[in-house]
Amino acid sequence: MARQKTAAPQRRGSQMHEVLEGIDFEQRQLVGKKKGVGLFDLVKDKGGELRCYSCTLCERTCPVDCIDIDYRAEAPELPWDVAAEKAAALEAQPEIDPRPLDAVMAGLRDGAGLVEALNATQAAYRYLPRRALEDIAAETGLKLSQVYGVATFFPQFNLQPVGKHLVEVCVGAACHVAGAPLVLEAFSQEMEIAVGQTTDDMLFTLQAVNCVGACALAPVVRFGDETMGDYTPAKARKLVRKLRRDEEV
Amino acid sequence: MATKKTSATSGDRAAKIHAALEKAHRPKAVRGAGERPHISLCGGTACDASGAAALREALRDELEKHGLAGKVEIVESGCHGFCAEGPIMVLRPQGIFYPRVKPRDIPAIVETSVVGDGVVEELLYRDPATGEPVADERAIPFYAGQERRVLADLGTVDPTCIDDYLARDGYAALATVLADDDPEGVIAEVEAAGLRGRGGGGFPTGKKWRLCRENPGERRYVVCNGDEGDPGAFLDRSLLEGDPHAVIEGVLIAAFAVGATEAYIYTRQDYAPAVERLKTALDQARERRLVGEDILGSGFGCEVRVFAAAGAYVCGESTALVNTIEGRRSMPRGHHVRLVEQGLFDQPTAVNNVETMASLPWLIRHGAEAFASVGGKDAKGTKVLSLTGGVRNSGLVEVPLGTSLREIVVGLGGGVAEGRTLKAVQPGGQSGGVLPADELDVRYDYESLRETGARMCTGGVVVVDDGTCIVDLTLFALRFMAAESCGKCVPCRVGTRRMLEIFERISTGDGEPEDIGRLERLCDDIEEGALCELGAGAVRPVRTALRYFRDEIDAHILDKRCPACVCRSLIRYTISRHDCTGCHACYGACPVQAVSGDRKQPHRIDQRLCIKCDTCRQVCKFDAVMVKSAGVRTGGKEPALAGRRSS
Repeated sequence: MARQKTAAPQRRGSQMHEVLEGIDFEQRQLVGKKKGVGLFDLVKDKGGELRCYSCTLCERTCPVDCIDIDYRAEAPELPWDVAAEKAAALEAQPEIDPRPLDAVMAGLRDGAGLVEALNATQAAYRYLPRRALEDIAAETGLKLSQVYGVATFFPQFNLQPVGKHLVEVCVGAACHVAGAPLVLEAFSQEMEIAVGQTTDDMLFTLQAVNCVGACALAPVVRFGDETMGDYTPAKARKLVRKLRRDEEV
Repeated sequence: MATKKTSATSGDRAAKIHAALEKAHRPKAVRGAGERPHISLCGGTACDASGAAALREALRDELEKHGLAGKVEIVESGCHGFCAEGPIMVLRPQGIFYPRVKPRDIPAIVETSVVGDGVVEELLYRDPATGEPVADERAIPFYAGQERRVLADLGTVDPTCIDDYLARDGYAALATVLADDDPEGVIAEVEAAGLRGRGGGGFPTGKKWRLCRENPGERRYVVCNGDEGDPGAFLDRSLLEGDPHAVIEGVLIAAFAVGATEAYIYTRQDYAPAVERLKTALDQARERRLVGEDILGSGFGCEVRVFAAAGAYVCGESTALVNTIEGRRSMPRGHHVRLVEQGLFDQPTAVNNVETMASLPWLIRHGAEAFASVGGKDAKGTKVLSLTGGVRNSGLVEVPLGTSLREIVVGLGGGVAEGRTLKAVQPGGQSGGVLPADELDVRYDYESLRETGARMCTGGVVVVDDGTCIVDLTLFALRFMAAESCGKCVPCRVGTRRMLEIFERISTGDGEPEDIGRLERLCDDIEEGALCELGAGAVRPVRTALRYFRDEIDAHILDKRCPACVCRSLIRYTISRHDCTGCHACYGACPVQAVSGDRKQPHRIDQRLCIKCDTCRQVCKFDAVMVKSAGVRTGGKEPALAGRRSS
């Protein structure tokens, strides 16, 4: 039950005005003892140096946008070799065929959104190669970190190559009450990987997805283009064993 | 403003627009519409997964054999709604309904019902109440009990054919609106009809449009919200897949009313058929001058784009959705941001749900009075619901707002499976909370549900029978919410995680009596502090579970037992010595070799090895495997559980 409130009708939205009411900005001190009222202060380390180095993280993540940072970069040159790190990161990833990227870039020039471009990239490679993300960033004029931020936001984007067989187990509400967690567990045990991982031989990737929209057939498993209903742990084990056998032949 | 008055009189203008619509329609190209004999095969996701594709092949071959290829069309329609009985096949115009069709049934059906004019009685749907076969689809109780307005054409119209839609008065509402050339009038009409947002928020649509129209901006946008992230809800997706033109027409009407020149239909890339059909539909509409510049020669133009994003629950929040289109992380902007002032690209934007859009053509065609003829006291019209979970007739239903939940779940849904009892209902998906069986007489509309502590939200009604544990169900909802929390605001990011941890503790038997108070405090704080509705939504399953299922939660905390025998740490599997025949089925199936025993001798389960995966209970043909939890027992000779088992 909701706590009984005797105060004035609850105000929706930002409560910033209450925060500001309690501060005397001239004196830089708090007046009154209102809950949730605070002043920002910057902490200094033992040597008296400010620990803040204007990363602007607080400014960017503040949910009520009450922080405004005016800063000047002190290190005009970064203390590490960005180009070398980038090259090393690229090196660590498998080679990709750059041709499908042309279509993605053409789409971007045609007015497609960033997420649409990422979708097209994933459709071409089945995951998002770093090189593709860098090209998209260059094309859109965004920073790589921004593109990466969007790519990591959505669980359906894979940033690592996926296995030959992608098995997606629906864990939506209807599937959950019908036993999807057991199916997922059976897959995980049989493939010997955790959910979201890929086997070392690049044969299987196991993923949990939220609702594929075939709730009448719960629990549902999506394997390749096929959607299979009324799935059971026994069927899951059989499928994995069969695919393993097929691979050995 | 996109509209401009032509010099001709308004009568001429109206005639010109209606003539243009007439011209856009090329009835000769219509496949299978109206009185022409055709076979409608459901192409919805569920039917597709249960083998509709193989059926299509078999049907094509069989028709060819009878020399009927080209004479009787096969129409791959959208979702018929009765997903539990899929794959569905309907012969029109007779309206003969065949459920659960298998390829081997095809010859008999074609022989009797297509070549001849009889029905194959043993393949017909049987009324569960009387056991009598029902041939006419309109006479089936599941359909007869509904008020199908938004879903009227879903399952009958060919989603890939614009002429089929035009033959059903399609785009007539748009033509009427354009002919009247009175955007204010449209808004007044929608306000008079009492249409409220069907996405869950329930904001009056007319009011939203008025605000959007009145706010200053260089240009205006309309966005159709088709990001249906709630697990268990598939109504928007079915509408986009099965009747894309109705959504497009609704979007155009909305665009005209607010004066928008650009519109987006936002959906998910993993809804591949929906994206594909929408794009086809838009191309067709553009070709007939129903989308783009100078629609039907009226001077009003609106460009409509499909935006296929990736799926995330929070994207259904309108400000997060707008951020996604702009190419940012899909984080909500906050309560204080009003999209009708500063929306997409900082311009006034009206974001409406797919169902809201799809109900507009009906509203305009029939008028506000007819629209408001059904509905609850505070909201008029109908609501589409996806009925899933442990219910017998799962599928899509459309009922007038204000229908009682019992009528929906028991009347249309047919209740739960034989031998189970109805325990609870989630009236609005994961964030809608959970209601017990004795609260089912509540009316399904915005305010009545609000009084019970639950919400309508996405319209995904999940029915739960006694094989499901409320702690487990809440745990699932919380796990989902914690995973989907975007992380922007602390109350939601940290709060949902803390609530999840407490519920995990309770489900493993480590709960403390003080946890109830902690949960209540967390609920209050998150609800007040969260930046968007996702946080408040995460609170609702917890609050309603505490309010209605306190005894079950207490049983977990105080007695360390799970009354539904679901929570894994509190149950154990045993084999009944009386019922076990020693068939060895479980012996072979057990993944950890916990089952021991010789053939034809009662088996045993080693509790130290058992991982409680439920495999043995599922493979046992003699119902000898029982689940026990400190004094309670299920399984054994009880009927098989429709929905059960925990994480």
